[in-house]
Amino acid sequence: MRFARAYIRGLWDGRMILGYTLLLSLTVFIVVPFLMIALRSVGKGWFGRLWLPPQLTLDWYRWAVEVGNIPEVMKNTLIIGIIATAISTVIGIFAGWAFGRRQMPGKEVAMAIVLLPRMIPPITYALGVAKTFYTLELVDTYLGVALAHVSVCAPYAILVLSATFEGLDERVLEAADVCGANTLKRFFYVVLPLIMPGILASMIFTFTHSYNEFTLTLLTYGPHTVTLPVRTYLAVGDGYWEITSAMAVIMVIPSLVILAMIQRRAEPEKLVGGFKGV
Amino acid sequence: MPEAMIEFRDVSKRYGALVANDHLTLTIRRGELMTLLGPSGCGKTTALRCLTGYIRPDEGRIFIDGKDVTDVPTHQRELGMVFQNFALFPHLTVRDNVGFPLMIRNLPKDQRTTMTADALRLVRLEGYESHYPRQLSGGQQQRVGLARALVYRPKVLLLDEPLSNLDAKLREEMRFEIKELVTRLGITAVYVTHDQAEALALSDRVAIMNRGRLEQVGTPEEIYEQPQSRFVAEFIGLSNFLEGRIEVVDGATMRVTVGDLKLTVPALPQTGPGQRVLIFVRPNEIELLGPDEPAGENVLEAQVEKATYLGDTMDYRLAFGQGLALRVQGDAQRRVSPGAPVRLRLPRIRCWALPGG
Repeated sequence: MRFARAYIRGLWDGRMILGYTLLLSLTVFIVVPFLMIALRSVGKGWFGRLWLPPQLTLDWYRWAVEVGNIPEVMKNTLIIGIIATAISTVIGIFAGWAFGRRQMPGKEVAMAIVLLPRMIPPITYALGVAKTFYTLELVDTYLGVALAHVSVCAPYAILVLSATFEGLDERVLEAADVCGANTLKRFFYVVLPLIMPGILASMIFTFTHSYNEFTLTLLTYGPHTVTLPVRTYLAVGDGYWEITSAMAVIMVIPSLVILAMIQRRAEPEKLVGGFKGV
Repeated sequence: MPEAMIEFRDVSKRYGALVANDHLTLTIRRGELMTLLGPSGCGKTTALRCLTGYIRPDEGRIFIDGKDVTDVPTHQRELGMVFQNFALFPHLTVRDNVGFPLMIRNLPKDQRTTMTADALRLVRLEGYESHYPRQLSGGQQQRVGLARALVYRPKVLLLDEPLSNLDAKLREEMRFEIKELVTRLGITAVYVTHDQAEALALSDRVAIMNRGRLEQVGTPEEIYEQPQSRFVAEFIGLSNFLEGRIEVVDGATMRVTVGDLKLTVPALPQTGPGQRVLIFVRPNEIELLGPDEPAGENVLEAQVEKATYLGDTMDYRLAFGQGLALRVQGDAQRRVSPGAPVRLRLPRIRCWALPGG
């Protein structure tokens, strides 16, 4: 009995150690770099081995906006994100319906092909995409960059919406019919409310992904379609670390807003499309 | 008003080589509760889905209230349906679930409110209006389903195994509640189940289906006491079969040779000496007698092969004649142990002959 208790306590301590390790890694790898960037973006004359910047300033943000042309870049990023999300969601709804509701031969193989762009490094096919887009004159257009993003965003949308449609209970739809709803009313009063959480989840995923996408943008952007990640990367090359930090902070803000939205609006259990019956 | 509320006329439905409904012809009377009973895959669900319009039959017509509805889409058939998995709208409250058919029909708001409240009172769910389905127990969810099906007073109520997702005790309770409700409202109901006890307890009439065909249609008593086929007899309750050959037909009775024994049983119409018959008798109808009981009509000598205690009854397997065996259920207070010789009587009126062998 005493041994058993000691053993359990040992396990418990083990769990505590594991927990603290994770917490510590989180701090070291996420919070610290982030704090550094945030501090650097407002610090002036922060050189050498000082722990904290001697002076605070918002100058770097002004520089980022004026020299880095951040409003324009932000606009590009958002427009590309919206186009990519719209296209991916439409693809996701149709493909998700097919994957989630239809029995078809080779479904697993088709799903594997859909997921392929998520599994292989984007750089391997980004080159091919770039070559094709040059020929099609899609490089340096909103549509072009957005389409490149769709290749990695659409799989997300398809995956999430397949699960959503799979979770839709056939009997519930039948019940709507028996209750007197025609196809249109059934869609608006039953299907849409039930898949809405899935659509929202898919849109959030795809938008965030497009917003963060770097590799595919790098090979398809041009002077008119610079996005935030690319702009930040270019600023690193220019060597102005303070301005780059300011850009990085600006870039993070929308992500945090989206995260807050997810936390507030979409409860995780609703993300797959609601209650499955029994 | 025609007496028939629902009519299947020669309805067939095939899935490739599988025949789900094979020339099904069935009339359901106004105000009766008809059960479609059968093992899974017998076509009862297909028949119900033909009725809702979810499946279109390959052949035949379906009439509801004298009107051919074969080509009428589901949403115009004015039905109420209760589903096995409840199929409530998970995103709507109880009030909105029950009010859904009224909302779809664009009824004025105040009328909707009264009708919804009435339906909820009918199933004793007042006070749960603002709950979501997931916050309710299985039994409560099924009551919501029932209220939703009844709220606009449809001509026909369809129940697709409504109790099979509930636990045994609740099932029995709800059984009587449904029966009572359907009788009170005078609604025509079609009840699909594979549970024979449910069918016998609930129905005005039972239609037994097997492999897409109707085996027998009748009141629970007729189905239980006078099965028209071996399938029906085996499906409802426990049964024993003895193969025999008719020796003499004498008015209302006939003598049948079973192995080296002779039995007297009620006569089977349109049969004569020499024909093969099946004699059917329920294990609890057979009388178990002591070994010294005098011989008489249908009294056989047997030996107890196996005895199983079932609480309120004893379940015996008795060997008799040349390699024949019967299952007999008797009073648990009077036990006979294995190996003991007994006599048993197959009361003539409790035996039932079926054609074939």
